[in-house]
Amino acid sequence: MSLAVPQELEQHIDEIITHYPPQHKRAAVLWLLHLLQEQFGQLGKEQVEWTASKLGLQPINVWELVSFYPMFTAKPRGKFHIKVCRTLSCELCGCGGILERLQKKLGVGLDENTADGFFTISTAECLAACGTGPVMMINDELFENLTPDKAEAIVDRIKTTGKLDAQPLPPVLPAHPLEKRVLLGNMSKPGYSGSIDDYIREGGYRALPKALGMKPDDIVAEVKNSEIRGRGGAGFPCGMKWSFLAKNTGKPTYLICNADESEPGTFKDRQLIHYDPHQLIEGILISCYATGAKVAYIYIRGEMPAGAKILLKAIEEARAKGYVGNGVEIYVHRGAGAYICGEETGLIESLEGKRAYPRIKPPFPAVVGLFGCPTVVNNVETLSNVPHIINNGAAWFKAMGVPGSTGTRLVCVSGPVKRPGYYEFEMGKLTMRQLIEDLCGGLKDARKLKGVIPGGSSMPVLKADQIDVPLDFESLRKAGTMAGSGGIVVLDDSVDIVGATLNVAQFYAHESCGQCTPCREGTLWMEKLLHRITHGHGRPEDVDLLWDVADNIDGKTICPLGEAAAWPVKAFVTKYRSEFEAACKNGNGSKHG
Amino acid sequence: MAEQLVKLTIDGKAVEAARGTNLIEAAKSAGIEVPHYCYHPKLAVVGNCRMCLVDAGTPKLGADKKPETGPDGKPIIMFAPKLSIGCNTTVAEGMVVHTRSPKVIKAREGVMEFLLINHPLDCPICDQAGECRLQEFSVDYGKGQSRFIEEKIHKPKRTAIGPKITLDDERCILCSRCVRFMRDVAGQDCLGFVNRGSYSTLTCYPGMEPNTNYDLNIVDICPVGALTQTDFRFQQRVWFLKETKSVCPNCATGCNTVLWSREGVVYRQTPRDNDAVNQCWMCDYGRLHYKFISDPQRIISPSVKSKVLGERFSLTWQEATRQIAEKLKTIKPLAAIGSGRATTEELFLFNKLVREVLGVELVDVVPHAGEGDQFLLHADRNPNTAGAKLTGITGDPVGARIPVIAEAIKAGKIKALIVLGENVAKHGISEDLLAKLDLLVVIDTLPSKVTELAHYVLPGATFAEKRGTFINGKNRLQRLNAAIPSPGIARPEWQTLVALLNELGADGSYLTMEDVFADMTRKLAPLSGLNLSKIGDQGVELKLGEGSGKGEERTETGELAKV
Repeated sequence: MSLAVPQELEQHIDEIITHYPPQHKRAAVLWLLHLLQEQFGQLGKEQVEWTASKLGLQPINVWELVSFYPMFTAKPRGKFHIKVCRTLSCELCGCGGILERLQKKLGVGLDENTADGFFTISTAECLAACGTGPVMMINDELFENLTPDKAEAIVDRIKTTGKLDAQPLPPVLPAHPLEKRVLLGNMSKPGYSGSIDDYIREGGYRALPKALGMKPDDIVAEVKNSEIRGRGGAGFPCGMKWSFLAKNTGKPTYLICNADESEPGTFKDRQLIHYDPHQLIEGILISCYATGAKVAYIYIRGEMPAGAKILLKAIEEARAKGYVGNGVEIYVHRGAGAYICGEETGLIESLEGKRAYPRIKPPFPAVVGLFGCPTVVNNVETLSNVPHIINNGAAWFKAMGVPGSTGTRLVCVSGPVKRPGYYEFEMGKLTMRQLIEDLCGGLKDARKLKGVIPGGSSMPVLKADQIDVPLDFESLRKAGTMAGSGGIVVLDDSVDIVGATLNVAQFYAHESCGQCTPCREGTLWMEKLLHRITHGHGRPEDVDLLWDVADNIDGKTICPLGEAAAWPVKAFVTKYRSEFEAACKNGNGSKHG
Repeated sequence: MAEQLVKLTIDGKAVEAARGTNLIEAAKSAGIEVPHYCYHPKLAVVGNCRMCLVDAGTPKLGADKKPETGPDGKPIIMFAPKLSIGCNTTVAEGMVVHTRSPKVIKAREGVMEFLLINHPLDCPICDQAGECRLQEFSVDYGKGQSRFIEEKIHKPKRTAIGPKITLDDERCILCSRCVRFMRDVAGQDCLGFVNRGSYSTLTCYPGMEPNTNYDLNIVDICPVGALTQTDFRFQQRVWFLKETKSVCPNCATGCNTVLWSREGVVYRQTPRDNDAVNQCWMCDYGRLHYKFISDPQRIISPSVKSKVLGERFSLTWQEATRQIAEKLKTIKPLAAIGSGRATTEELFLFNKLVREVLGVELVDVVPHAGEGDQFLLHADRNPNTAGAKLTGITGDPVGARIPVIAEAIKAGKIKALIVLGENVAKHGISEDLLAKLDLLVVIDTLPSKVTELAHYVLPGATFAEKRGTFINGKNRLQRLNAAIPSPGIARPEWQTLVALLNELGADGSYLTMEDVFADMTRKLAPLSGLNLSKIGDQGVELKLGEGSGKGEERTETGELAKV
């Protein structure tokens, strides 16, 4: 084998392979590719073939992945890879200026390396830090609240020092009086570090022994009785999901924590992981016990390397105390830049070391999931609630919120509001108007509200006159949209809706896995159509065409990415039709163009 | 079995299907087409093309788990909010399915349009034209026009993936049939998709192209013009080709095939569905081994070698038959070598000629053995060994008497030899021995050392040029059909054998292949009651085993002659 992999690295790789069942060691492939890319700066022929041979795969199996996951590169990149987020919230805050400035400064186009091999500049699809946009990542470090000047200064500093400074985590935002902080409770306390000692001091790891004293079925019943609904986007009742797990199959059960936070406008998992990882780990341990899972994987987004490190450290802390490794093992699995891995079956395929092609259902993961075994996939926020439900009981949890939407909800607000960020409150007890006007302090620069996306960019937009809707699952559904991932993107009257639609369409076209026809073809068609309209080449018939293309995707695809791409377009076209008509009339284009 | 059947309604038609049947198959059984691209009955279901979307609902069940009825007394049907894919939706009791509702029609039109927006629409220069599912379904289910005016995506074109196959990625609809076939059936995980979204591209890793004996099946199952057979590209428009059902003559598996011909030339051979034999696949070895049919060296007329001049002269069939019959009566003793590649009918007549009429003792066929595999390629490369055994031309082991014949020629005990379609010079009867013979009569299609040495050469017909049957390694009797005429005045061997029988005064009143077959069914018990029509396109399994053993014994002991 021609590739010289240092012994230490190979030992590390061999250890990682043990995190997966021996007959499924292919699952280690994303980790291997991350490590090899770190070592060699690229995943070329040699790295691909080495990986294939190491895992008993064909090179094509690995090449399929290198070309699927945008974090991987077959060709060497600069020593410092600058990724500027181009997605909606960051664009609303002016990321375009940063990209332009940096490209000009470095004298390179997108995805090109500078002559000195120092820098490569790329765009990124939502880095899940929308409340502090515009943001960019350079290698593993995240830079927030940027302006073109700040970005330039960062690059200058790297040029001078040749080094990348570690970025501290920003401070936790103080609670607003209208908030009810449960999940954010610990981290809001002064001096709370998220270490296991801090967590225990604040009452952590008390739910776990309590749960271990209960029968697993009683824990499931407790969670069921709490009526907690999944916080990932679909809002499926968590306890019911657990009770669907196939029993007595003779196969192991797996629990997967979905930490692949990528829905534009959403950045709550980042907070929960960065500031209180043990809350999540305790939740995972209890959930494993309840569902009979002996192994849990935390599938964390590739673009959240700091989160992965924090989790790895926290797992070791919990191991030292005997919580982890005592019947339940938790492994961190890093993604590599694919939104589709947030879809639970896409995630499972990705975890198994394949292209993240969502599976057709049935069978559902509860019956045939990871490695063909019964599997439950839960969101970070959902699992973080579990210790609280066990500690305080289902009745306590249900007392918060409103029927059908129990407990608190963690939302993320981005866009031109005075105080963007994350807020936790009892579901249904607050309206969108209160959230924007009171908690977020209203719009910046005395701007007027034009619309709000209530649950990540895939959810239909609410117009300014629809914001008296209470923030709970049912009320938002009745308003024709969904609570989704809790990512709330505020659009003010300066926003060019056609341009914003293009931005969103571009995201879903980039993230479509390409497996099924309507999404693969339709998402890029919508992007091209919108691009043409915004650039002054629209035709009057394009408005209806755009809506109809979206309609031809909607409900026709394997996974919900189809709807995620279609719904915002349909909603924007329907609710702001005159703007689309104006952009298409006489080839006017839009401000965006 | 009755309780296994599920009753449902598809487009108003009452349908019964076995539990577990998907809606595409259930509809098909009712004569309703549900269009699809990625679904293939022999491959894993992936549901990616979305062409088979249908509207499916199941009865609403009451608290007693019994269907609730509406005011019209009929069960209330709960339709799924979204359309369902027919390939991954199985039949359920009382299910109601619409395959032509406005909702379904719009969805299909949408999928059709999507499939074509980045397609080059290059039918006039595409080899798949005429057998392309994109063409067919866009006529049947599309809107006939596209609203797409943007720039199309460009992808690699005319990529050779191995020596046999050409890939055009712009025409690929990413259905993954080929990927699944190579991985799950051929056992070489060599194809995959790179890049993603609209840019997804089918490819194989450089230097690791498909290289199994089954690669060309991916050309058959590719529903579009993405994968084409390199040696067939631009040879013919498929609508000019005549399809003839046949059987592959290259091993004892007997894969069912279609021969595609035009104006007397076979342009390709493809597999034909037969679950009892080859499902819908065939091996490349068999598929590509047909080109000898059009060999310019084909023997086109009977000929005789002049003793005086040493040259070869053409003869009419009549003259050749007369002369050979004359010689056969006088030059003795005689041996005969038949072929496991001959049809059962030919072998039957050959047996009758040499054993019954000419009293030959030493008869056998040439064994052709190769390496077999676990799938379709049989180690016995003769397609009709079982037929040769049944008719008594050979026994176990096949070819055991060939060294005996060689020895007898060497010892001068055999003076004459009839060879049916085998280059025996390569299979146990050396040229020296052949040269010793006073009479060598050869029936064959292509020249060889044997035909060079032969006193009489009679042109034969290839498997593509005649009717008849083969019995495969699993005792399945299958039919060949004539796709093309033989070149020159060459003719099927059975006619030649009948002519010789007639000339020799035997009772051989066979005018047609049916007459030969009918006689065979009277003489060979396992064929009793059959006729060529009954064999049909799928063949019939014969009960040989014990019976055939006895049959052989009968022939060995000469009983057959008495029948």
